[in-house]
Amino acid sequence: MELLLLLGILTTAYAMLTAKRMSALIANFRLQSLLLFIMTFMEALAHGSFNLYLVAALILALKVFLIPLALFRMLKRLKVDEHVGFFINPLLSLAISLGLTYLAWVFVRQLFPDSAIGFVLAAAISFAVMQVGAMIMVARIKAVTQIIGLMVIENGIFLLASTVTGGLSLVVEMAVFLDVFISVIILGVFVYRINELFTGIDVDQLKGLRG
Amino acid sequence: MLRLLLVIMFAPLVSGFITWLKNNLRLRRGPGIFQPYYNLAKYFSKDEVVADSASWIFRLTPYVVFSATLSAIFFSATPNGLITLLFIFSLARFFLALAGLDTASAFGGMGSSREMFISSLVEPVVILAVFCLGLSVNAPSAVFLAGAALFLATLAETARMPVDNQETHLELTMVHEAMLLEYSGRSLALLELAAQIKQLIFFLIIAGLIFSNLFLLPVIAILVALVELSMAKMRLFRVVDFVAFAGVLAVLSIIMSVLGA
Repeated sequence: MELLLLLGILTTAYAMLTAKRMSALIANFRLQSLLLFIMTFMEALAHGSFNLYLVAALILALKVFLIPLALFRMLKRLKVDEHVGFFINPLLSLAISLGLTYLAWVFVRQLFPDSAIGFVLAAAISFAVMQVGAMIMVARIKAVTQIIGLMVIENGIFLLASTVTGGLSLVVEMAVFLDVFISVIILGVFVYRINELFTGIDVDQLKGLRG
Repeated sequence: MLRLLLVIMFAPLVSGFITWLKNNLRLRRGPGIFQPYYNLAKYFSKDEVVADSASWIFRLTPYVVFSATLSAIFFSATPNGLITLLFIFSLARFFLALAGLDTASAFGGMGSSREMFISSLVEPVVILAVFCLGLSVNAPSAVFLAGAALFLATLAETARMPVDNQETHLELTMVHEAMLLEYSGRSLALLELAAQIKQLIFFLIIAGLIFSNLFLLPVIAILVALVELSMAKMRLFRVVDFVAFAGVLAVLSIIMSVLGA
C-alpha cells in the first residue's frame, strides 16, 4: 500500500511535467498532496501519535485546499491565459526527468549502501520528486509555475524526511508549513508586481533587467 | 476451447457494463447492461450493403479481423505469447486500415491514417510493458508501473476517451468508428464483437498477467469508466504526450525491474 502511494506520488510528479494547462498543473499538485496526506495519515494510524495526526491535518488543510485555492484565485485575478508555456517541451522534460530519476536511484544507492530495497526506493522517489519540482521551476515560463515547482520540491523534502528519519519533530514541521504558506503569499504578491511592471508573468521578459 | 467461448460470451458484457456505469454516474438513464448483445443480434439479422467501389479487401476484412482477434485469445495466457498477440492485433489493424481506405470515402481514409498514427505510438509502450513482465521476477513497483503503463495504452488501443470516443459519430473526432463507417449487417457485427473481444483481452492481460489476480477485472472496467467520465477527448496531436507519458512509465518499470525494486 505504501509502495502504491509512493509510486502514485512519482506518477503525479511526471503528470505535472506533461501538463499544458495551469488548471491541470494545479490539479495534479493537489492530487500529489492528497496522496502525501493519505501516506502520513496511515503512518499516524500505525503509530497512533498525535503529532503525526496534526501534521497530516496540516497537509490536508494547506496543500490540498488552501494553497491550490490561492493559486486558482491568483490566476483568476491575473487574467493570464491557461497555457503553462515551455522552455523545454513536455516530451523532452519527461525524458530528462527519467534520467534524473535514475541518477537519484544511483545517488541514494551510494549514500545508503547497506539499506533495504524498500527504503532505497522511497528515498530515491523523494529525490526524484524534488528534481521534477526543480524541472518545473526551471523549464516553465510563467512565474506561477515557479511557485508550484517550489511546492513540489517541498513535497519531495517532506517525503524524504518522513521516510528517512521517520518525520521531523512537530515544531520543525509546523515552522516549515508556516514558511511554505507565507512563501506562497509572498510569491503571490511578487507575481502581481511582476504582472503590473512587465504586463505579463513570463519569466523570459525578466532577462531585460540584466545590464 | 472453453476460454474461447467464455471470452466471446463475456466481451459484450464488459462493454455494456462500462456504458451502464457511465450513464448511471451521469445520472442518466442509458441502455441496459445487455444492450451490446441486442445490438449484435440486430446486426446479424440485417442485410448487408456494400459500396459499389469496394474491392474484395472490404469484404474480407471483417473475417480477417474477427478470426485474428479470436486466435489472439490463445496467446493471451502466458507472457511468452504476448509478442505474438501484439503482432496478430497488428495484422487485424492492417486490414482494418486498408478497408477504411478501400471504399474511398473521406472518413474512412481519415480514420485509417489516425489509427495508424496512434498505433505507431502505442505499440512500443505495450511492448516495453510486456518486456518488463518478462524481466521482473520479484519487483512489485516495476509490476505496478508496467500495469499503469499498459492501462494507459489500453485506453488508446480500445478507442477509449482521452484518445477516441466510442459514443459519438461526430466526424472530426472519430478514429475507430470512422473505419467502420461503411460497414453494415453481419460485417459490422463481426467487427464490433472483435473490438469488444480485444478490449476484454487487454483487461485480462492487465488483471491476469501483470497483477495475477483475475478479480481485478471489474476494478479495471470501473477505472476505465471513471477515466472516460472525468476526461475530455484530447486533440489528436496531444495524444503524443499522453502516450509518451505511458511510455515513461513503461521505461521506468523496466528500470525498476532491472534494479530489482
